[in-house]
Amino acid sequence: MSNKAARNLFILGSLFFFAIFLGLTYDTMGKLDKRAPEITEQVNAGKMVWHKYDCIGCHTILGNGSYFAPDLTKTTVNKPKGYLKQFLMDPKSANPNATMPKLGIRPEEADDLIAFLDWTSKVDTNGWPPKPILAIAGGVAGQELTEGQKLYRSLGCSACHTINGIGGTTGPDLTKVGATRDRAWLVGHFKDPDEYVKNSPMPKVEAPEADIEKLTDYMLTLK
Amino acid sequence: MSVKYQSQKIAEYFYTFAVVLFLVQVVVGIIAALQFIWPSFFILNFNTIRTLHINALIVWILTGLMGATYYVVPEESETELWSLPLAKLQFGATVVAITAVVLGYIWMGLNPQANSPIMGITPLNEGREYIEAPRWADVLIVISVLLFLFINFMTMLKTKKWTGIQGTLIGGLTVLALMYLPGMAYTKSMVKDQFWWWWVVHLWVEGAWEVIAGALLAFMLMKVVGAKREVVEKWMYIEVGFVMFTGILGTGHHYYWIGTPGYWLWVGGIFSSLEPLPLLFMVWDAFRTTREARNVENRAGLYYTVAHAIFNFVGAGLWGVVHTLPQINKWTHGTQITTAHGHLAFYGAYVLLVLSMIYITLPAIRGVKAFNASRAFQSFWWMTISMVFIVLTITGAGMVQVYMERLMGLDYVAVKANYNLWFWILRAIFGVGFLIGVGIFVIDFFRLGKEPAPAVTAAPERV
Repeated sequence: MSNKAARNLFILGSLFFFAIFLGLTYDTMGKLDKRAPEITEQVNAGKMVWHKYDCIGCHTILGNGSYFAPDLTKTTVNKPKGYLKQFLMDPKSANPNATMPKLGIRPEEADDLIAFLDWTSKVDTNGWPPKPILAIAGGVAGQELTEGQKLYRSLGCSACHTINGIGGTTGPDLTKVGATRDRAWLVGHFKDPDEYVKNSPMPKVEAPEADIEKLTDYMLTLK
Repeated sequence: MSVKYQSQKIAEYFYTFAVVLFLVQVVVGIIAALQFIWPSFFILNFNTIRTLHINALIVWILTGLMGATYYVVPEESETELWSLPLAKLQFGATVVAITAVVLGYIWMGLNPQANSPIMGITPLNEGREYIEAPRWADVLIVISVLLFLFINFMTMLKTKKWTGIQGTLIGGLTVLALMYLPGMAYTKSMVKDQFWWWWVVHLWVEGAWEVIAGALLAFMLMKVVGAKREVVEKWMYIEVGFVMFTGILGTGHHYYWIGTPGYWLWVGGIFSSLEPLPLLFMVWDAFRTTREARNVENRAGLYYTVAHAIFNFVGAGLWGVVHTLPQINKWTHGTQITTAHGHLAFYGAYVLLVLSMIYITLPAIRGVKAFNASRAFQSFWWMTISMVFIVLTITGAGMVQVYMERLMGLDYVAVKANYNLWFWILRAIFGVGFLIGVGIFVIDFFRLGKEPAPAVTAAPERV
């Protein structure tokens, strides 16, 4: 192959692949809005808050960013919004172990940001992030679950709390909660956390009296 | 050995700025590594430190490449630069703009409210990874790059030599300039935001920049071992051709999970799997061309050139291809695996590229025939061994993260703070090793040719 032929192959080939890329980009642009919810004024305002505080300097979103702090694509799916708002404005007040600094995010900015994160959580991401396979397998196999354990799962408690190393770290670890709390405290706390822990970011457990008793039974076995 | 055209010496201005920023980048990198262990270490938060770390990287590589281009174009065109004063102005303006941007980042880091939007535009930091520079800085950067391209183009027009090397180099730089533009517009949708953002980031580092690397590799092979132009240019076309054929549609490997249609899984998976091929061609090219070389005067230059080709393939090629298939990437996307790839790819593909160009052109700029290469080798081994271990520790952390967080369902914070702690500690230690290597390099850069010639070459001067 002569040098001239090699050069022409390089130039024409690059243009050819770029043309295909442009075509795919055009097609994609037409499809993106159908794969995500409508963008309201509040969602857009939240996106500006995201940029203003350079959130991507620590976090990832849709998996892209800085890998220093959790990915926020699906945050609003399993964390209560009241908790998120309190956390955004003053992280340590919502979770004493938080390492995120207090950035001075105002209440209305926090609301906008949560609306924006709610939007990203509903984008069709071709199934990413995948559900953790071992945790799912652990839930269906093994021994029969008690009523309390089922409620712990269905109410989404593990989004924030950890038992035996599995679960979230934003709320206290419950592995030995039965050794430190009694029935009255637990039942009362489930009904109104704020009354027992000042400024608690935990939402009230909206469940029938009987379910709260069953959940408490389970908590008391954790020693 | 000295430059053929006096205006080539402008390259040293750019190299000096690049070398200083390289040192800054590595120092803030170590602060960032320590913040993985103690998040509240240092007055600036991680996001500001990280912004400085990656922006210093991009800017020093770019200014290094600009310096290299100002050296290569007069030599290839066989004439002085079209306007040396204008090139100096372009250098000065770039330094002023970059300094202003950095001060803005630090100000915002100390007082986040300073970045409150003015008429819908954040004034100090756009909050978009790698292209954090605010809108006013975008405009200045575009003007600077256009001026830079204009000066080089006018130089080429003076003699109309149109060599393959300078054509490919300027072609790559033009694509680089054009691909900055898709990142400048604001979009309300985070999905579109990231879609266009990847046009900039991917088509830079896996497109235009690799084309520039291919052109400079050809130039360096001619310089250090006197390879024949016809041969290196033909291989250069084949290499950069395959870079574009695989890299353009390889952008699809960033469009798997950000809200884009499913066909990108096929497009990205197939084309990005082929992306290491042209990098392997470059390694083969470098070995084939240099194997027979005897009596190489600039051993440091040769060493760095071949190492650049090898680590470009290992870092950008192998460390990328391992997680590029969608069925694997589904688990690794957004984890430390990406960080590991990023570190080795930038080191191999671009850090070593600019350092090679410096070792090949700086002796001529300083007018020295021979120089003591021992510091060049020392710094190479300190940097390379440290970087390999930094990358291995981050890869280890990434594997633990993928297994525990993605497969077992453990919490992100628990994995990062507990299970990966040792990896962060080791990474910081190797980071210090890397800093030592950079320190030796910086000393070498400033002293090269300014101290008595080494004993072996002190023999009769032929003037």
